[in-house]
Amino acid sequence: MPLPEDSSAAEPGSLERLMSRRNFLRSSAAFAGLGALAASLSPLRELGEFSSVDEFMQKYYKEMTPEDMARVIKRIEGDVQRQYGIRPHVRDLKPMDGVEFVYCLNLTRCIGCRKCVHACVAENNQSRNPEIQYIRVLRLPHGSMDLEKAEHNYNPAAVPEKGYFYMPVQCQQCHNPPCVKVCPVHATWQEKDGITVIDYDWCIGCRYCEAACPYWARRFNFTKPEIPKERLNPNMAYLGNRPRKQGVMEKCHFCIQRTRAGRYPACLEVCPVGARKFGNILDPDSEVSYILREKRVFIQLKEEMGTNPRFFYYFEK
Amino acid sequence: MSFVPPPPQEQAARKAIWVLLGLTGAFLILAAAMLAKPWAQPVARRPIPLVDPAFLEQTPWRKSYADLVRGKEDLSDFECYVCHEKKNPPPLRFDAQQTLIVPDEHSDIKMGHGSHNRNNLCFNCHNETNLLTFSTRDGNELKFSDSSRLCGSCHGPNYRDWEAGVHGRMNGYWNHQLGEFRRLDCVNCHNPHAPRIPTRQPAPPPHSLRESPEEETPAPHAATP
Repeated sequence: MPLPEDSSAAEPGSLERLMSRRNFLRSSAAFAGLGALAASLSPLRELGEFSSVDEFMQKYYKEMTPEDMARVIKRIEGDVQRQYGIRPHVRDLKPMDGVEFVYCLNLTRCIGCRKCVHACVAENNQSRNPEIQYIRVLRLPHGSMDLEKAEHNYNPAAVPEKGYFYMPVQCQQCHNPPCVKVCPVHATWQEKDGITVIDYDWCIGCRYCEAACPYWARRFNFTKPEIPKERLNPNMAYLGNRPRKQGVMEKCHFCIQRTRAGRYPACLEVCPVGARKFGNILDPDSEVSYILREKRVFIQLKEEMGTNPRFFYYFEK
Repeated sequence: MSFVPPPPQEQAARKAIWVLLGLTGAFLILAAAMLAKPWAQPVARRPIPLVDPAFLEQTPWRKSYADLVRGKEDLSDFECYVCHEKKNPPPLRFDAQQTLIVPDEHSDIKMGHGSHNRNNLCFNCHNETNLLTFSTRDGNELKFSDSSRLCGSCHGPNYRDWEAGVHGRMNGYWNHQLGEFRRLDCVNCHNPHAPRIPTRQPAPPPHSLRESPEEETPAPHAATP
């Protein structure tokens, strides 16, 4: 095929010159390249209003001065207000001195009504669709602790059912947490009072911790969490129930926004049979001390993993 | 008019322009397609109904006498001497199987206390000589608002646990220096005439991310935490 070189050379400034094959291919390649770049960046549009320069430049939680934290809290409050139209009260509550939290759950009493699951969702601003729930209630046949026989989709007309007992499982707040060990960016750590927390602004969403946890206690936000405005809980903590974003992990934190202010966790306060007990194990007069002293504390779940949970299951005598 | 074919050079140049314009069009369509992603739209999620606020309710399902007094509610049910006579305790009647016949005036009471319904005598707890009080097993009088101690006169270990905050629910503050806590009374959860806690409807189970409900049948290992 003869090239039109001669004509373009002969008539400078002509259409052929401007539209020479080389120029043309170059510019259309650049065009397509820009298009492809824009397309590859388009997931950023879905990240939404939550990312800002301030957030991007934010320091690591443990390196923040109180002034830094005040600024961050202000930003979070603004973000939440913009998104949900409600001014929240965000706090950064520190662990109390002489306090180590322990949870005890009475398997004889639990009737498997799942009220704790939904009280937790309401308290901790979890996504409603897709559903994120920190507590999973397992139904087990009597006479067995075999988790292979557990069922969590049970939905009879009335509970408790004959021949079954119920075991709610949530974050066990281990003394030796495997999830903390695998985090490549130290976005999750164990605090002095025993609560393993997550800094949602530091999490990169690699989900190693989810894989490491033997209790399936950690949940991942595959999408932007969906929380109805009228059900948003405005009492928030930085390491607790402030709204998460897409692509970060979350899990039970013993309702840090309540318990570090001295209150009981939400799952406990809603339990209709009083199966859930929470308190300070370092205080000999607390309920949990009484239980560990007086009751048949039967298991730490998956004791053989060596995680040494702060969550104890017990039976009545 | 005769057709004069353009010179071969011009012909080739035109052809090249058409080819290149076609390529531009193709690239533009590709770029638009990459931005719109028609082949990879997120699957519409099935709607999940919000949970019934009744499941988030903390109020116990029964009210104690103390609650009624506190709430300044109707206490006419506890005015025994509107119907009964003082100094003339109501007689107890039994059927052939020796089970108590609850009179029609008290038809709201279903007796079922103790295994085999053994604790079925009104005056095991109510005071025969003063119906406005209870009497413990050792003969002490107790006010209606003090009913938990009456329960404790038989159910010692549970009463001990309850006093330690371990039997039954506590609300409020675990740290008593920082705020109030509230211990529920026995009768907030147990109907004294039939103390076994009735069964109830469970809150909805978790919703699966999977699309079709058929896929939701649990795999054998699905529930292992």
